[in-house]
Amino acid sequence: MDKFIVIGERIHCISPEIRDAMANRDPEPILRRGKAQLDAGADYLDVNIGPAEKDGEELMIWAVKTLQENLDNVPLVLDTANKKAIAAGISVYNRSKGKPVVNSADAGERISYIDVAAENDAISIALCSKHGVPKDNDERMAYCQEMLEYAMERGMDPADLWFDPLTLVIKGMQEKQKEFFEFIRQLSDMGLNSTAGISNASNGMPKEVRPIVDSAMITMAIECGLTSAIANPNDRQLMEAIKTAAIIMNQTLYADSYLDI
Amino acid sequence: MAFKRNPQVFSASVAETTIGTGDSAVTLGGENVYPFYSFDAPIKNPPLVGVEFSDKGPRRDVPGIAAFYEGAETLSDVAKRACEMPGASFVCLDLESADPNGDDMPVEDAVKIAMEVAGAVTLPLVIQGTGNAEKDGTLLGKIAEALQGKNVLLLSATEDNYKGIAVGAVLAYNQKIGAESAVDINLAKQLNVVISQMGVSNGNLVMNVGQAAAGYGFEYVASAMERIKSAALSQNDDSLQTPIITPVSAEAWSVKEAIVSEADFPEWGPVEQRGVDMEISTAAASLASGSNAVILRHPDSVKTISDMISALM
Repeated sequence: MDKFIVIGERIHCISPEIRDAMANRDPEPILRRGKAQLDAGADYLDVNIGPAEKDGEELMIWAVKTLQENLDNVPLVLDTANKKAIAAGISVYNRSKGKPVVNSADAGERISYIDVAAENDAISIALCSKHGVPKDNDERMAYCQEMLEYAMERGMDPADLWFDPLTLVIKGMQEKQKEFFEFIRQLSDMGLNSTAGISNASNGMPKEVRPIVDSAMITMAIECGLTSAIANPNDRQLMEAIKTAAIIMNQTLYADSYLDI
Repeated sequence: MAFKRNPQVFSASVAETTIGTGDSAVTLGGENVYPFYSFDAPIKNPPLVGVEFSDKGPRRDVPGIAAFYEGAETLSDVAKRACEMPGASFVCLDLESADPNGDDMPVEDAVKIAMEVAGAVTLPLVIQGTGNAEKDGTLLGKIAEALQGKNVLLLSATEDNYKGIAVGAVLAYNQKIGAESAVDINLAKQLNVVISQMGVSNGNLVMNVGQAAAGYGFEYVASAMERIKSAALSQNDDSLQTPIITPVSAEAWSVKEAIVSEADFPEWGPVEQRGVDMEISTAAASLASGSNAVILRHPDSVKTISDMISALM
């Protein structure tokens, strides 16, 4: 079984520090956060440059080069609503540590993000939704099939779609949580890869509760067969939960110091 | 439908550890496929065969060994001769006399012996300590200091003495060390983790994950090695991407099949041949399970195993 992949979420233009750094092309804050996430055990780094309508292409090229040249060709998830910026980022991307990931396609207006991945031999995150939150797992599965078919027609390997069931906030949608796990299991049974923005579940909860909820969510999801997650690797409790789940699932060989590596 | 080859080549690979210096230096590890899966990808460095002899001299009670070392009187002569054994890539000095449960030779004297052998050999040198954690903790450090620049491999660091050996041998004097565990995959990984946390990189380390003669619990050794190689390659576990070395001779030559006389068991045939057979079958199985090097004693075993490796590369 392959190793569970942690995608570090902390290079995100929603953070004022990162937004300024992107605007001023200041590598320091971006590299500092990148390194902190890798040191904590991230496998991929998500690079969210926002809508980036004006200078998206140039910004993504700069971000990809800055991160890869300074952090040993770290594999990246290119995250923006600007498709051209994603393609531009991939044009300078070094694949030695892993394919680039397009974040993200869905079964609706954003299905053409799959084209970006197909044309550039990249992975694509595929959100199982069309307009808003799917009402049940049948709907999720229909979108999953649509995107799978779309990608395969374009010559993609099914393993290069990482399906995202859509993590729903617990506060307000408590009754929807069980089907989230059931859907992950369906994906896993089909041999498909998956990902999830796990911390959405604990949105709006008190700060001290969130790591506990996120850890429980991810542990349960890994047992159901989740293959990656977009998360904060600097949340120590969450990373300890992931490492422990990997041991229990026999994805990593146990050693007494497993939490230190 | 035509058969479609689907090579199982991993993006991960085992680290390379080089011992010795100059033209005779050899490298263990480096492969990115399972043992002998040369049909999947070329195996970067073929497995190696080393020749073991004790500081008390070779086992002259075995006729084939006695004949090979005939005329080699001093330990230097023995060491030189061992390097000429067909199929040998390195030699291994067993400091048997230093064992506190035996002759308990003082550390200074054992260091002199190691220096004498190191001065005589023309192949890379592996030195086996006593297996006593306390004695080896001191002895291997002193040897590391005395043999600076020779790039020797010291066997072994264990759970109880790795700190001193890692610092004394690798970090201070640039030698290589083996991390020894007894058929316990979790401990094997743990030892590698704690040794690397001291600053020893994979390229300065090999593992001895335990050994048993074929038929004497060897299946545990085989499964430990297989699990380790599988974690190293398929799960890209860098704390297990360390070459494996397996001292075979001590186990193989001490089991019943290699000891009881032909007079007592006439149907078993000549005792020497049985010892050789035990050594060969254990070595072949160790290599097939993932060992990157084996340490043997008898010239027939060394030649047979090295021929086997060549034939499978």
